[in-house]
Amino acid sequence: MKGTGLIFGHEMKKILKEKSILFGFIVLPILALLFTVMLSMAKPASDSVSSYNMYFFGVSVDSISIAQMNEKDIYIVSIDENPEDFMKSENFHDEDVLVDYSDPMDVKIYYHESNDISNYLKSSADSFVRETYSEIYKGFYPKISFRNVITRDIRPKEEVNRVIAMLLPYMLILPLTANIANFAGDTIAGDKERGTFYQALLTPVPPLSLIMGKIFAVSLISLASSAIYISCDVLGSRICEALNVQDAFGFAGVHVPPHQFLLILLYAILLCYLFSNLGVLISLFCKDTSHAQIAQIPVTLLCTMAAMLSMFRFGVSPSVHYLIPVYNVCIIFQDILNARVKTTNMLLVAVSFIVLSVAVLIVTLLSYKSEKVRG
Amino acid sequence: MITIEHLKKTFKKNKVEAVKDVSLEVNNGEIFALLGPNGAGKTTTMRMLSSLLIPTDGKIFYDSVPLEQDTVSIRKRIAFLTNEIRLDGQFTPDELADYYGRLYEMKPEDIKKNKKELFDYFGITEFSNRRYETFSTGMKQKTSIAICLLHDPDTIIFDEPTNGLDILTQRLIEQYILKLREEGKCIIISTHILDLVGRLADRVGVIVDGKSVYCGKVEDMASSQGVETIDEAFIKLYEENHEESAIVKK
Repeated sequence: MKGTGLIFGHEMKKILKEKSILFGFIVLPILALLFTVMLSMAKPASDSVSSYNMYFFGVSVDSISIAQMNEKDIYIVSIDENPEDFMKSENFHDEDVLVDYSDPMDVKIYYHESNDISNYLKSSADSFVRETYSEIYKGFYPKISFRNVITRDIRPKEEVNRVIAMLLPYMLILPLTANIANFAGDTIAGDKERGTFYQALLTPVPPLSLIMGKIFAVSLISLASSAIYISCDVLGSRICEALNVQDAFGFAGVHVPPHQFLLILLYAILLCYLFSNLGVLISLFCKDTSHAQIAQIPVTLLCTMAAMLSMFRFGVSPSVHYLIPVYNVCIIFQDILNARVKTTNMLLVAVSFIVLSVAVLIVTLLSYKSEKVRG
Repeated sequence: MITIEHLKKTFKKNKVEAVKDVSLEVNNGEIFALLGPNGAGKTTTMRMLSSLLIPTDGKIFYDSVPLEQDTVSIRKRIAFLTNEIRLDGQFTPDELADYYGRLYEMKPEDIKKNKKELFDYFGITEFSNRRYETFSTGMKQKTSIAICLLHDPDTIIFDEPTNGLDILTQRLIEQYILKLREEGKCIIISTHILDLVGRLADRVGVIVDGKSVYCGKVEDMASSQGVETIDEAFIKLYEENHEESAIVKK
């Protein structure tokens, strides 16, 4: 792979020297993040319940409305039922919170992290619990200056990740294909347009190194740009959470352990490599960048369609689905996030990707040497 | 030294027989001019010589080594420059020289030395930190030549080296080509400017309709055709060998 590193470095520098590219793929996602957060702040949360409830267990309170939100009353209500059972009942909604006072020095607040109202009530309950401490218990425990309050998101982890598992393939593939169509289109076709193609062909660098250098550069910059998009979404969720506004990003409360993250990254890299290689292959046969970008639209559409189809998948897919390119990565992303991934399916996806990538690379190399490309 | 034997190129795409039968020999320390009208097959021949295109038939030897046998090593020894070749506009000549020098596996000290010599000669040094895309046509051409010659090639292939350049830049490039000849390099120039051939070339090859119809010394070209000047000799060779002209004559 002599020369691959050099070509890779040169391509990266070439991309990073273009201010418009930097703006479009790095600054713009950040601006989009700010814009969406602003929209979230402006848009009130919608819900179907007639009132919001702050349930108290282990302490007697009068059932009264303490405030209003979205033109609905916020009630404080005492319950006698065991908190675990009550939270499973129909009376407890996603918007509600439950304050467990059974141990006054170790109060627990149960809430729904993904629900803005529940989040807001959690913060109110937390303040309420801390403020009432001095009035109720200070006489009994004068040396204690604070009370331990534990907040718990009551959604099961698999449910938290379910929505994002459904959305992630689409959220990843859309920017990825768009980025690759742009960057890969600019590789060989861009070189032809600028007249730099022959200069590269004349160097003693083997075609494989030259092609790989370009593919790696496109892969890295596209992956980085897509990562920025997703990071902005995650950050957006956290900002919405902090501001107590509706989470427009869907990442609230999502928990992705390191091993799941690494697996997702690994498959994202495979996907990125394959797309980039396809992009470079298409670019080979195009005379200029805009032609190459137009020629990539069918690939982008097909990939987006595969990602969309995966969103409507329910249950476990048969093994053969793990051999369908692109779609298989989408469903493996879902399996990873839903913690139901099987080793055999992971291997099927990896093998199918490697076989396909090698095949596309061979076609790219043969095309690169053909007179149709060089003539 | 380059030896070409019965070179042929037919493009599969449109079945055009761009080069039908070209044979010639270029020695070290010699400037060889390849002459021919537009569409004669000069550029296709040059591209085959530089390994950009693979011949349909025939052989190209670099110092008796077939080009297809060791393309990578031979590429390290040749330079090919055409008007179509440009460099990445986002980079400065300095960056481009470093990049191409490393692609040719040159040592950093050799890159530095050759870069200084070429940049000084072509007057690029003071602009070496400016982006290539901001240069004028002449400056771009001079930079392209400097980068092409950076790896100190034995064989230099120029396709229309001075096309579209002002007289001063033309003169600068011509003088450098003569300097390269003195250094013992093997130089091939493709052109249709007959004055340039008279000023620079030692020997000349004429291609008409993809076939080499003359190969000899510049000073013998006119006399071999029984005319006074190179121009007349070229026209005579063209008329005698161009298929359409032959039909008209009949």
